[in-house]
Order: sequence, then structure tokens, then C-alpha cells
Amino acid sequence: MMFDVRHRTHYRYSVPVVQSQHLVHMTPRDSERQSTLHHSLMVEPAPAMRYDGLDAFDNVVAILDIEVAHKEFMLLARSTVETHPVISTDFAATTPWDRLDAALAPGAAGFDLDVIQYRCATRLTAPTLAVADYARVSFPPGRPVLEGAMDLTQRIYTEFTFDPTATDVSTPVARVLNERRGVCQDFAHLTLASLRALRIPARYISGYILTRPPPGHPRLQGADASHAWISVWCPEAGWQDFDPTNGLLVGDEHITIAYGRDYNDVSPISGVLLGGGAHTVAVAVDIESLDGRTPPP
Amino acid sequence: MTYSSPSLVESEHQLLGSYRADAASGYDELLDDDGTIRPSWRGLLSSLVGLSPAELAIRTARLDRRVRETGIAYDIFADPNASSQRWQLDLLPIVISSPEWDWLATSLVQRARLFDRLLADLYGEQSTMRRGLVPPELVFSDGSFLRPCQGILPRAGPLRFYAADLARGADGQWRVIDSHTETLAGVGFALANRVVHTHVAGDLFKRCNAVRIASYFQDLQLGLAAHTGRDNARIALLTPGPHHQDYFSHAYLARYMGFLLVEGADLRTKGNRVYLKTLEGLKEIDLVVRCCDSGLIDPLELDPAGFDGPPGLLRVCRGSPRLVVNAAGSAIVQNRGLGPYLAELSRALLGEELLLPDAPRWWLGDPLARQHVLQNLDSFVIRKAQEGTGRPGQAALGYDPHAASRGERERLLREIEINGATLAAEEKIGFSVAPAFDLKGLIPRPFAMRLFVSRTSDGYAAMPGGLAMTVDPERAVALSAPDGHTRDVWVLSQAEQRPHVSLWRPKLESARVERSQRVLQSRVADDLFWLGRYCERSDWTMRVMRSALRRLEEDSGPSNGLDAAQKCLEMLLRDREQAATFQRSTATATANIEHLCRQLISGSASPRALAKTFAGLYRVAHLARDRLSLEAWHTLSRFNPGDTWVKSLPMAVPGTLQDLLEDGLASIAAFNGLMHENMTRNYGWSFLDMGRRLERAYNLSEAVLMLFVPPTDPEQESSSLMLLLELADSFITYRSRYRLDPLLPLVLDLLLLDESNPRALACQLAAISHHLESLPDSRQGVSMSEDRRLILSLQTTTRLADIEAIAEEPQRSSLESLLVQQLTVLPELSNAISRHYFNLTDEAPHRLHLRGEPLP
Repeated sequence: MMFDVRHRTHYRYSVPVVQSQHLVHMTPRDSERQSTLHHSLMVEPAPAMRYDGLDAFDNVVAILDIEVAHKEFMLLARSTVETHPVISTDFAATTPWDRLDAALAPGAAGFDLDVIQYRCATRLTAPTLAVADYARVSFPPGRPVLEGAMDLTQRIYTEFTFDPTATDVSTPVARVLNERRGVCQDFAHLTLASLRALRIPARYISGYILTRPPPGHPRLQGADASHAWISVWCPEAGWQDFDPTNGLLVGDEHITIAYGRDYNDVSPISGVLLGGGAHTVAVAVDIESLDGRTPPP
Repeated sequence: MTYSSPSLVESEHQLLGSYRADAASGYDELLDDDGTIRPSWRGLLSSLVGLSPAELAIRTARLDRRVRETGIAYDIFADPNASSQRWQLDLLPIVISSPEWDWLATSLVQRARLFDRLLADLYGEQSTMRRGLVPPELVFSDGSFLRPCQGILPRAGPLRFYAADLARGADGQWRVIDSHTETLAGVGFALANRVVHTHVAGDLFKRCNAVRIASYFQDLQLGLAAHTGRDNARIALLTPGPHHQDYFSHAYLARYMGFLLVEGADLRTKGNRVYLKTLEGLKEIDLVVRCCDSGLIDPLELDPAGFDGPPGLLRVCRGSPRLVVNAAGSAIVQNRGLGPYLAELSRALLGEELLLPDAPRWWLGDPLARQHVLQNLDSFVIRKAQEGTGRPGQAALGYDPHAASRGERERLLREIEINGATLAAEEKIGFSVAPAFDLKGLIPRPFAMRLFVSRTSDGYAAMPGGLAMTVDPERAVALSAPDGHTRDVWVLSQAEQRPHVSLWRPKLESARVERSQRVLQSRVADDLFWLGRYCERSDWTMRVMRSALRRLEEDSGPSNGLDAAQKCLEMLLRDREQAATFQRSTATATANIEHLCRQLISGSASPRALAKTFAGLYRVAHLARDRLSLEAWHTLSRFNPGDTWVKSLPMAVPGTLQDLLEDGLASIAAFNGLMHENMTRNYGWSFLDMGRRLERAYNLSEAVLMLFVPPTDPEQESSSLMLLLELADSFITYRSRYRLDPLLPLVLDLLLLDESNPRALACQLAAISHHLESLPDSRQGVSMSEDRRLILSLQTTTRLADIEAIAEEPQRSSLESLLVQQLTVLPELSNAISRHYFNLTDEAPHRLHLRGEPLP
């Protein structure tokens, strides 16, 4: 499918910001699942310095340094992306999760630093004993890795409640597990912590998801959203994406922006300000299908 | 070795008797297997034998006093007299023979070269991981492997600082028990120890022909200057601040090397440069010597909660990779799990056999190692593979499965299974013993030592000295010495020593005649301003208490001013903001004054309680310490909240309390005198003095308002006048001028309007105005700055005041409005000065986050 994405972020500050620096991950990267046909990032006020490049995970990153005093900051990212249908994989035929060590050992065909790095826990995905116990339910000995991953994805979807008030960006996964509430980042981090407790390579994906209006309602402007999900590696199929927030396998209505080990590697925008006082932010994402197909109601 | 006199043999016996009796297991540094003194220690021992026990005791006491005076400590705010955490330096050093040192130095330099190569590879090509020389999961599981530094570190130039903790096993072999590549690892402690120790044992040092360390620091300094590629490079040592346990080390080193001591908030990035915020605006920094964790130096790209460095520092480093040393991300190679892989790495990267291996340890991410460790769990200590900056003596003790309950063991096994990649298992190799000094004689004490290596213009060099610490061999496998018992390390030389060249005395060719002020950080100006305020506040509060207590002793009678004294005490106890009236109790004046004094000492209700004022005074004095002379610093040391003087105040009976207050006032007077005589009249002085004068102007105005508005009966007024003259230290001036009993108009003229009286309000205002005129004004050409406008308005009112008319008004409303104006505007002035000079903005940088929250 072909999509046009408009992602608008607008900050307003109560007192002028003297200097602001931002790290932006808003350019969809190319992958087997998608190609980015067009992209632009507009920034206001204009930065004194702008660095565009690739980060350590080959995501497109922009670093902005704004030196003029300002009370508003606006970013508009526009992208045209084509997503490709996902090739179906026979989950039951994938390598058992407890045999991945051999597949990833030095000398083996799967020995690849780019895969191995995602077996390792980070601060935001550090497994506790409780997380490991939770994970083991989906991964009895000998279970094919993607079968287990699908099971884990669906368990998190059914057992957890979506609740934006329950957590913030620094809530540890242990608490998410305990309280069974959170948002997409939390569910992605919990899934990653679970998989990494078993040393299964898994990465964090930041992107967009096309949302569907309730039956009989028109699509609302700006109602789409940035989203987060995860991807699991197996020797047979490479990386396969799962969406624990929605309990499903990722298809062609997910648009990938960037991937990394956790949220901190790829957050769409983060910034450090001098001054500014209190702030408000408005975010609007609009995804428009270009090939005439509208999502089924 | 032969002794000429029997008394020397006897004193050798006395010195070593208990040492020999206390048979120790493990390697003995002093005695060989036959009980003979090893050759390297003979020189020192024979010198010691020549000293009488009394002399040794005196030297030990002097050493202790010097340590206290220099302020060597982990936690500079802790009670210097408390036994825990107290830094101790033994009279006896660890002695290392010349051949042994040569081997150690070569081995450590080899390790520095190895880590340099390994770092460049891990942040560059990563061939060591691809070739299986380093397990990738060891690296990727270590939070100190900073992905944003990829591509920066290999361009940053060589690793500049390396330190190793060493222990000697029972087999007599040295082994590395920890490596430090993140920061300078507390080299300032070693330097301070040496300086202090030389004061007391310099003669012994000379007689042993031990090697000096000054040239090491000179080479280090030249190496850093060359690294920047600039003449007169502006070098900043970046510290996390006074609450970090290594702060003493940072401050001492910065002062010795002539670096600017800066904190993250002092710096700012702009474009491709990093700048220091100073009173005169932004000044470019050429080199940052990093003394904080890499992960905390840039909240934009690294840990979002880390503000030890300026936001955007990594972005700047991408353009100027040599800006920060050690380069950000350097901690990864100090990971303990690397130990088993170093020998192979040395062959692969250097083509050399590793000379000095790590103590036996296992990385628990490796399945085979894990299996081995789990089978022999009791013989290991489990520790974190990565432990950050490595404060000397503060290494975590680790987890000893041997002592664990069954449940704990169970948990540990699961922890290893899940998080093995971040853990290491270590064998207890034991420690060698060396003599420590005790009044009974020498006693054997197990120790480990930290040695330091740095990059010079000419390759790596090891510092011929180090920091040794006593450890508990039962518990420690690393440099864990929480009791803070330290030793100097002496390296003996066979060559003649060059004359002493200290960095304190720069060579003339490298110095320039400079009369302009050194760069003054905005933050330091702030600290000095508050130092002035706290000093004056302490002085005033103690004066009021002293006057009140004096009046208790005098014959009681309505005229002796008890009532006035009580009013002044109450005024100090009141919150400035809330002018609530004080509930006066019906008890006797005596009991009341005692009660008020007690509240003013430690009461939590008043913001001006002495406990708070002294704590503030000591804190800012510490922050501004590198601007104070040693003597000036000493005069303030009694105000440390942990000091016995401070602690004895709340318990003292009125008579004793008066004596204690006299001591306190004498210290403040001494401090003021020293500053007045010794401090260069630069911007720093201006802020210190403005702080003092602002506080004085406020206190005086407040006291006059409290005592004379509204008017009281003549008798009471006359005792109030006496009290006021006493508080303002102007009694003699008044008497010599008027030879009359105090009269209101005359006293008010002397204390409010007379610019020639250094205690008068007008004089304080004139001085503040003068200082403000001399400071750089960043807003040139624009309208008058807020601070200057405020001081002008205050001065105008006092200059226009007609004191005789004011004093005669029945309700004194003009006097009241004059004083109320002072009391309103002075705090505004203080705020205006803060806004103008201390911060470029009102706030510290803070971070913004956004997270996607799609509808389900």
C-alpha cells in the first residue's frame, strides 16, 4: 500500500526558550517491508545548526540546535511510503528458541553482530525474575521461536489494559508487569524484556499505525498516531514484526520509522531546553492511503 | 645489615616485635621466608629505627593533622572527626624496588596500549567481536558501551588515562584486580597523599632515594596541551560537583594542574564548540578532562537524566572528536568480564604476550564458564562486570555465595541465568601484607594499590607512585577499603634524583604577566556572593546572641536593655516573609532569652537559625574553595555542621555559650581579615563583598526598625541605643565623636547616613554601588540594568534623608518608610544581581519527551 504521512508536532512555552536542541527520528527507513519514496522535515524556527545522518542502528536522525529565543517550536515531517505485503512464515517450522545459541555462535551462518546486539537487555528492557517467569509460559523447552513470540504477543494483548495514565516514559517494565497497564511503549518494552530474558534477539520499532474510525463514523483529522511494536529474529525468516498492543502480526498498515534496542534509541523527538517554563504540546498524525483503498470500516 | 649500637638493635626489635609475632598468611612485602628484611625495605626500616617512639608518634599525629587540614576525604560534607569514612594516611608507605617497578611500569603501559587498541576497535570496525576474540554479548550487555559514540571515539586520539588496581597473591605475583579507563580514577587522592606525606616524611623519602612524581604530572600536562594543538589552551576539568565522592580529587588535581574546575551547568554548547559561562560572557573551552561517567555527559544523546555535561556535547564531539578526554564511551574496556580474553587479545592486537594478567575471573555470559562457576559456586565471589568510575577504595564487595542462605542461592542462580552477561565470578586470590604503623610498633596489614598511567607526547608513562589501601582479605576481592586507611607508594631509584620541580611553581617561560582577572565562572561568583552573605549573617546573629547573654549577667533593672535584646532575638527568629507577631511568653526575661537563644541555635522554624546559616556557610565555602587560601579555609572549618564546636552550641549553658560565641566571632573576624588582606580585588572579591554588605545593610535596617518604630519610653530607648551601637560595633566611634550618652538623631546619623562609618547603612550601599559599577555589563548601551537602578533608588533615599526631622517625628513614619524601603528593595537587589550575573537564564536545562499514545 502507498501512504502519505503528515506528522505535526507543535510545542508552546510559557517563557522564551533561549536554546533548544532536539534529536529527531521521523524519517521512515527503508526495509524489506517498505520503501520511502519521499520525505521532508520542516522546522520552525530555523535551527542554527542541523545535523542529518545515520545513527548507530542506521536510522535516519536529525539533530537540531536552535539558538534564537522562541516561544513556539514546530516540526512537520511529511513522508510518502510504500509498504509491501508480508511474506508468510510457517511459525511452527522456525528454530526452537532454546537452540538459538548454536545458530548465533561465531562461525555459524547466523553469527551477525547486528542480530546479536538485540539479544542483550538494556536499562529500559532489563528482565527481572518475574519477567523471566512470565516469559517462560510462552516458551516451554523446544517451542519454535516465532510460535512462542506470537503466543507472548497475544497474552500481553489479552492480559494487559491500555491506559495512558498508568505510566510515563520512565516506568520500569517490572511495574508494567505488576499492574498490567500501560501504553504501546510499555508493552513493547515488556515483550522485549521477556524475550531478552531468554536471549531471543528482539528489537524495538517506532512507527505509525493506520487507525480505523468506529463503524459509521468518518475518519478524524489527526487521529492517527505514532506507535511502537517489536520485531523478533529467527534464522528461517530473519526479522518478523509483532504488535503486542493490538495482539497481532504486523501487516502492511504499520509504517516503520526506526528501530533500535528500546525507546531511548529511537524516540520520535526528544529535546533539551534552556528556559521555556511550562510547555504544552500538540501532536497530529494523518495517514492517507494513496492507492484509493480506504481501510475497511 | 649491621647496627653500630645495641640500642638500635633493641629499637628494631621493638618496632618489629609485634609484626613478627602476628604471623600472616600470604606474601609478606617486608620479610622474606626466613624472616629477613627484604633489601628494598632496609633503607626505610633503618631510618625508622633511628627515630624515637616519641618522634614517630609526633609524626603520625602531624600527618593526621595535615590530612585534616588539606581536607582529603571522600565526602567533603561529612563530619571530619567521625571515624567512618575518615581518610587516614599511614606513616609507612609501600616500597617498591627499582627492578620491580620497571617491570610493573612496562606491564601497565602494555595494558594501556592494549585497551587503547581495543577501544578503537569496539567503537570502529568491531573486528575483535567478529573474530570471536571478544564475546559480542559481553559488549552489548554493558550499559557503558555507548552506541552514539560509535565513530567518534576512534577519531578522539589515544586513550589518555588508565589506572589499574593491583594485588599480590600468595605466589608473589602481581595481578590486576580492576582496570579503570573511564576517568582519572582518583589520581588527585594519590597526589594529595604524596604532598601531605612529604611534609612529614620528606627526610625518609630522600634517604630512601625514592622517585618524585612531579615530572609525571608535567608530562601529563604537556601531553594534554599537545593534544589540543593550541598554545595557551583553555583546559577544563569536568566534575559532577561537590556531592561526588571523588570531588576532593577533582578539585585538588584541577588546582595543581591549573585547569578550570567546571560542572555541567557551567558549560554550554553552541554550534560546533563548547563554552564556559563567565561573568564576561561565553569563553571557548579547548579541552574537557572528563571526571564523570560518560553516560551522564549529554542528556540529548545519552542518559536523558544525566546533566553532568552540557546538552549537545556529543554533537560537538562529532565535529571535534578530540575535545573530551578520555573520550566518551571509554569505560567499556574496564569490564571485568574481559579478563579471560585479554591474553588472546594482546597477541592479536599487539603481537605480544600479555605481561600482567587479570586475577582469575570468569564472564558469566559464557555458557561453559557459567557451568564451571555454578559447579564450584562456593569458591567464587559474584560481582557486576561493570562498575563505573571506580572511586578508590569504594569498589562494591560483591556477592559471596558461600555465606548465602538456600533461598538466596536459588535466587542468585536464577539471576546468573537471566543476567549472566552483566556478571563476573572472581576467585579470592588473597592479598600480600605490608607493615602499617601503630603506636605499639609495626603491624602487618593486607593491601591493594592503584597505579596510574597516562598518555604523554611520547607514548604512555606510569606514575612512579600510587595509592595503596588496607583491605579486608576475607571480604574484598577488589580495592574495597571503606575504612579509608591509605598509604603512599614509594618507588626506589638507583639513579640520583633530579631536583624537585613542582607544578605549583610554573616555569617563567610558560607564564605570562597577567593582571586581568582569571576567568570567573558565573557559578563561582554566585558562591562567593553567598559566602559573603552567610558570613555576615553568622556574624550578626552571633553578635545579637552575645549581647543578649551579656545582659543576663549584668545587674537586672529596667534600663539594662533585656527587653531590647529580646526584641532583636525575636526578630531573627521570625520568618522574613511572614511578619507574624511573635508570641511572647509570660516567663521571666532571663528564661525567655535563654529559650530564644536555643531556638536561634538549632530551631527549625527560623530560616536564620545558626544551624542553617553555618551549614550554608560551610557549603558555599566548599564550593568556592579553590578561590580561598588555605588559612582562610581553616578559619571557616569550625562551621562544618559535623564539627564539635557546632555540636556543642545547643548543649552549652549561657556562660559557656558566650565563650563559644566569642570563638565563632573571632573566626569570622579572622576570615574577613584574611580575605580583606589577601584577596585580589577582582570580580570574585566584588561578589564576596557585595554579599556581605547586602546582608549587613538588611540586618541593620531591620534592627533599627524593630527597636525605634514605634517610639518607646526614654529609658528603654536609651538602652536600645546602647544595644544598637554594640551590635553595629560603633560604640567607640560614637563615644569618641560625641562624648555624650547616646541620642537618637546622633546614633541614626552615625549608623544610617554616615558614609565614612564602615558599619553605616550608607557605607554598605555606596560599596555595593561601587562594585556594580566595576562589573562588566553584558547589556551595554541598553537602559540601566535592574541592579543598578535599585541601588540608585536606595542611595537616593538615604542621601536625601533629614535625620533630625526624622528623629523628631512623633510616630517616626518617615524613618519607618525609609527602613521599610530598604527591607523591601534589598532582597529585590539580591535577586536582580543573581539574574544578571549568575545564570544566563533562570533555569537549568531540562528535557522534553514525547511518547506516542495511539488509541487502542
